[in-house]
Amino acid sequence: MIDLSPALKALTENKVEFVIVGGIAITAYGSAYITKDLDFCYLRSAENLKRIVKALAQFNPKLRGFPKELPFFWDERTLQNGTNFTLETDLGDIDLLGEVAGVGDYKAVEKGSVEMEICDVPVKIISLDDLINAKRAAGRTKDLLVLPELEALREALSDEEE
Amino acid sequence: MKRTPEEKLLNPKPGSKIAAAKEFGIDLTLLIGTLRLTPNQRVKNMQKSMMSLEKFSRDAEIWRKNNRDRLKSRAQSADRK
Repeated sequence: MIDLSPALKALTENKVEFVIVGGIAITAYGSAYITKDLDFCYLRSAENLKRIVKALAQFNPKLRGFPKELPFFWDERTLQNGTNFTLETDLGDIDLLGEVAGVGDYKAVEKGSVEMEICDVPVKIISLDDLINAKRAAGRTKDLLVLPELEALREALSDEEE
Repeated sequence: MKRTPEEKLLNPKPGSKIAAAKEFGIDLTLLIGTLRLTPNQRVKNMQKSMMSLEKFSRDAEIWRKNNRDRLKSRAQSADRK
């Protein structure tokens, strides 16, 4: 399970530009879904990569599912050489996404995002519309299963009623 | 007149996405409960549930191990007889 509070505090204290996507966002919108990890979309600027490295270094990030004997260096160069990273850390699993399928890069995700307080930390969360588009684009069974609930929530929260 | 999210979930209009979710098997009463909370409270509650599930999973693993050991020792004492 992810220990969310220190992760979000480290990211915001280091001024990382990120938007929460995935299971935590699903829960924040009112779903009864349970998630074990933190997924966020991040800006791929050199400055932001430096901030991410600094923010998460204290939690000893390693690539999830990779043999322990393989060397892994948590630095800006590693982040520059990839887009999406699935990490295991002392706090739990954290996924870094340079792009979100069905939505786009950080700028596109950030555009529609909303600010919410999560674990008493103000953070940006992907919009409900983009979250639905992302889940539909991901297309895995686990993503598709959550769609009826998200669409029901969108309809319930909408000002308009058909 | 505009209906509140709770009213919409309690009485979904036929053909609506809410009705489809109910048909799909989503427990809409759970959504009514979570919508009464703030996003902060929703995530905190989810984390508490996750912690309970993980504790349950650990306890179940201990029970399974103890049960295996008990059955093994019972089988060994039966063999001796």
